[in-house]
Amino acid sequence: MADPLVEFDGVEKYFGDVHVLKDVDLAIEERDVVVVIGPSGSGKSTLLRCVNRLEEIRDGDIRLDGRSVLETDVNEIRQQVGMVFQSFNLFPHKSALGNVSLAPQKIRGIPEAVADDRARELLERVGLGDQTDSYPDALSGGQQQRVAIARALAMDPKVMLFDEVTSALDPELVGEVLDVIEDLAADGMTMVLVTHEMGFAREVGDRIVLMADGRIVEVSETEAFFERPETERGRQFLSRLL
Amino acid sequence: MATQTDPESGTGGVMMRDRLVKRIGEIAAGGFLLAIGGLLVWILSTQVNYTLLTSTLIARRFAEAFLLVLRIVVISSLLSVSFGVLVGLGRISTSNVTGRIAKGYVEFFRGTPLLFQLFVIYFGIPRLWATGQFPIQDWAVPAAVIGLTLNHAAYVGEAIRGGISAVPDGQMEAARSLGMSRVMALREVVLPQAWRNALAAIGNDQIILVKDTSLLTVIAVPEIMSVFRNINSNQLDPWTPLVWVCLLYLAITMSMSQLVNGLERRSDWGSDNSMLGRLSRGTSGGDTEGGDR
Repeated sequence: MADPLVEFDGVEKYFGDVHVLKDVDLAIEERDVVVVIGPSGSGKSTLLRCVNRLEEIRDGDIRLDGRSVLETDVNEIRQQVGMVFQSFNLFPHKSALGNVSLAPQKIRGIPEAVADDRARELLERVGLGDQTDSYPDALSGGQQQRVAIARALAMDPKVMLFDEVTSALDPELVGEVLDVIEDLAADGMTMVLVTHEMGFAREVGDRIVLMADGRIVEVSETEAFFERPETERGRQFLSRLL
Repeated sequence: MATQTDPESGTGGVMMRDRLVKRIGEIAAGGFLLAIGGLLVWILSTQVNYTLLTSTLIARRFAEAFLLVLRIVVISSLLSVSFGVLVGLGRISTSNVTGRIAKGYVEFFRGTPLLFQLFVIYFGIPRLWATGQFPIQDWAVPAAVIGLTLNHAAYVGEAIRGGISAVPDGQMEAARSLGMSRVMALREVVLPQAWRNALAAIGNDQIILVKDTSLLTVIAVPEIMSVFRNINSNQLDPWTPLVWVCLLYLAITMSMSQLVNGLERRSDWGSDNSMLGRLSRGTSGGDTEGGDR
């Protein structure tokens, strides 16, 4: 098999004196859907944010498609890595369509009409074909998060990162966002998700990565992890959920 | 009254007090209006010389001063807002040097009187040409524009900086994570929102700029207050020209407020649920529809 699409190699990350990622090794293959779980403060989100260099690592390396992200222009890396946030962060001064088509226009120089057509397709794909002209303020949390997913997809990323994207949603709105993510998984998008939704993790994830205290303590096939975790930490974590 | 009194929270008593406060306010405001209005009517009927007020002599002189002030205001306004945006950007620059220079600029121009700054520019600068002749003959108006611009750019800069810091960090992060450079993210995402946040404060400052033109009388700009002083000393009649002065300033400042209101409405994309935002949209409650534009 070729190089993994995303590869963590001995990654060390500190916030000041706090050691938040400890010797992290992880390989994510193309079309892989990896779900990162673990108690809060275990470094899950930080792990994600190191991929597109929203956080800088102190030691080790992260490679995207065989190239070190540390040695590549940061904006170039980010154009290949889509990210969706817990708090949506839609641009309030742009319509749904404007949110999705802004980056391709400004960064890639794609003509407005072309970018808008593509944005319409993407909004259609996340089930918001009828809301293209709505401003974020007029959309529900679930709709806003789906626009955010479409916005990230508009740059044609090689991998999508989801940072607790359902945590800020009302429970009845979680489903519509998870449906979109499942749909992406079915289409073969490579994805790394940090989530607290265990049911969803089990449904969509190919592999589960369990983190604790800044370390990866277990990487298992999804079914295997939920049926019979290999590690004591895994068993503890699951037992606390039940 | 018994039905209104809730024994647990004492609502009845609170309501009584609220109504009492409201009534006291109405009486105070009404009394104030009566006193000022009465004084005004008395002044207008006994002190103002209407023949002089409507004479072409005084009208022409005020009109000339008004047009000059208008020109100075338009130019200084455009320049101070443009330059102020740069000052605001300098304040948030990641470069320590730029940030400190911008901070020093703001401290100086906000921390010294405009009159002092006008004196420095009008009297001080020409003296730097010790040997030769200062090349600009009519220095008063250019000096005025420079002074007003430099002074108000400091205030606009602070308004912009405040507007930028009120934009949530997640906006910059979302833009950067799409692959935008910092400059592009500022231009496309942060500044449009900062501009909206800062508009009220900038408008406020620009109205002060209009009134600050009255200081230009001391550097020999033939503006509105100069005309007043001239007429008052010739005719020994302050009230007649004061009516002109009042109406002319109000004409500029009120158009300025209209302009700012218009700009605020134009940059309203519906997410502003602050009291101010709702007032400026003319809606009262949570029934705003941001999406139907």
